[in-house]
Amino acid sequence: MENTIVKIEGLVKRYSELIALDHLDLEIKEGEVFGLLGPNGSGKTTTINCLLSLLSFDKGSIEIFGRKMSPTAYDIKRDIGVIMQNVAVYEELSVYDNIDYFCGLYVKDKAVRKQYVEDAVKFVGLEEFLKFKPKKLSGGLFRRLNIACGIAHKPRLIILDEPTVAVDPQSRNKILEGIEELNRNGATIIYTSHYMEEVEQICTRIAIMDKGKKIAEGTKDELKRTIKNTETVTIEILSLPEKVREETGSLPHVYSAEYDGARLTVRCSGGKHNLIRILEVLQKNELSFGRVYTELPTLNDVFLEITGKALRDKED
Amino acid sequence: MFLHELFYQIKCSLKTKELYIWIILFPAFLGIVFKAALYDIYNRQTKFETVPAAVVTVRDDPIFSQVTKGINESEDPMFSFTFFSADEEQKALELLDSEEVGGVIYLEDELSMKVKYDGMKATMLKTFIETYTFQETIIKDAVMKDPLGYQKVADALTEDISTVTEVPLIPEGTNTNYMTQYFYNLLAMVALFGSMTGLRKTVESQANLSALGARRSCSPVKKSVTTVAGLTANFIVQSLCMVFSVTFIRFVLKVDLGDKLPMIYLTAVISGLLGVCLGFLIGSAGTFSEDSKEGISTVVSLLMCFLSGLMAGDMRIKIEDRIPIINRINPSALISDCFFSLNMFSDYSRYITDIVSILIISFIFALIGFVLTRRRKYASL
Repeated sequence: MENTIVKIEGLVKRYSELIALDHLDLEIKEGEVFGLLGPNGSGKTTTINCLLSLLSFDKGSIEIFGRKMSPTAYDIKRDIGVIMQNVAVYEELSVYDNIDYFCGLYVKDKAVRKQYVEDAVKFVGLEEFLKFKPKKLSGGLFRRLNIACGIAHKPRLIILDEPTVAVDPQSRNKILEGIEELNRNGATIIYTSHYMEEVEQICTRIAIMDKGKKIAEGTKDELKRTIKNTETVTIEILSLPEKVREETGSLPHVYSAEYDGARLTVRCSGGKHNLIRILEVLQKNELSFGRVYTELPTLNDVFLEITGKALRDKED
Repeated sequence: MFLHELFYQIKCSLKTKELYIWIILFPAFLGIVFKAALYDIYNRQTKFETVPAAVVTVRDDPIFSQVTKGINESEDPMFSFTFFSADEEQKALELLDSEEVGGVIYLEDELSMKVKYDGMKATMLKTFIETYTFQETIIKDAVMKDPLGYQKVADALTEDISTVTEVPLIPEGTNTNYMTQYFYNLLAMVALFGSMTGLRKTVESQANLSALGARRSCSPVKKSVTTVAGLTANFIVQSLCMVFSVTFIRFVLKVDLGDKLPMIYLTAVISGLLGVCLGFLIGSAGTFSEDSKEGISTVVSLLMCFLSGLMAGDMRIKIEDRIPIINRINPSALISDCFFSLNMFSDYSRYITDIVSILIISFIFALIGFVLTRRRKYASL
């Protein structure tokens, strides 16, 4: 049986009247890439800060590696790597010095530390920038440095709080590949994000949070199976009479047909050949249409169905 | 772990641009300005023509009378004073109006002056009044100890103002140039500006104030170790800055800081400790942004320096007359007074009082800082 690395029970955190975490329970097993997914303000970062004993909380308990977590639990801290949402490096120090400094807080032996720093540099691909000051790095490289500082000491548990915010796609992919590699090398990962694609891509298990509560938990397939949507068909169409929309909505396995003046969105629940049947309705009514595409349910659909709102803000 | 932390904190501090701008370049620039604009006035005064001045005597002051008479009678005098009683004030003002005198000095409870135009003569007379007021306080203190030395007091003051080099009451090797106090205050400013780096290091170690603080708080290093290492690093770097400032003032600007130079260096280093502790205190207090705290630190430091006379030379004397307690607790006043008493008195009692006060204030600042930063968990970040 896999070991439990993190166990959070009944965690409650209040900011005056606001309940930031509402009786949160989480259990993270060794070797998992555990995703905490939720919109901004859902309590992901608060959970991480409580987990790291940076924030006090009102109720509940937190255990890491089977031991109670506290600010003075230095043995536990020694095996945790943290990559915060805000980049935390010294602007005055070079790339190498930054990694060496943070690694040195965990690793006393100089020779071991040197090797670890070199490994971390190689891992994030900053070999050519060792003497650069952080300010001279691009946004993506800057984030990679942040990651190197957090993982150089080869921790067993790595916590990444939205590490790809404001990062270009190329660096984002590099970061995600790196996280997968860290996991393959044996680290347990806790990954928070409001980008569902990232969470879907790398996480083996996911907890979806909203308003400080865990509203769903499981693998991505398990989560998708909890909702009735199995397929969403979208058709670009310039004009759609109301009776045709109603006819589409009454097809077998279709539970929703919406038209916004440019696109017809049809949501299906199970069944086969849904797309063909929808296109037949349009053809029968002699309606011409543009692009047609179908999507399998996403975590956004899961979130939408549970909460009635989209997971991501429009600007995201 | 302590040494690892210390090494990188020193490295960080030494690579901080603000350090060079505010604690080295800015004071050096101010020092050059002081040297060019103020310090040499004292020495140049001897080369100017005699400045005639009218003195309206509202009250009797035997020391002032003795001093001014002494100046009048000296060879090649800097000033020539003509005396009028309070009833004759109009005559004095007429002389001023016809520009026969450079200014009218009123000998009341305090010395005051009226001039027709601002200019070199007015500046020289103003400097005379400031110098007299400044040195009168010191020498009166000496008279209290030796009441029979009245004549020596007047002679000393006369000769000092007349730029005669030997001043009998003041120990040999003493620089009596009144303008030197601006450099003492400049050193006090450098010491107090050390609060900026102290503040920064404190913010960087607090999880509720910076991302760096949060990351460091997640590490397995005790907070007390990081805090003490940070403060030690600041103190070392600040000491280097203080040594640089003293060296620059003494050997580049060639300002005479007296003949107790090793003690001056030691005092400068101890003063730096006060600046670092002040920064630690400001950095620990409240949850304002780092920028706000830097603003507070700068304003507090400059206010202290203003009160000790960095911007107006006689400020400390005015405060001493009205609210002397401020001079006892104002770090800047204590620091500049340390340098001053080192230079002025062969007896170390005043210096020791000042330096002990500096150490006590530093200890109090550090203690409050430790109390405020001892928390390891926060209600909000």
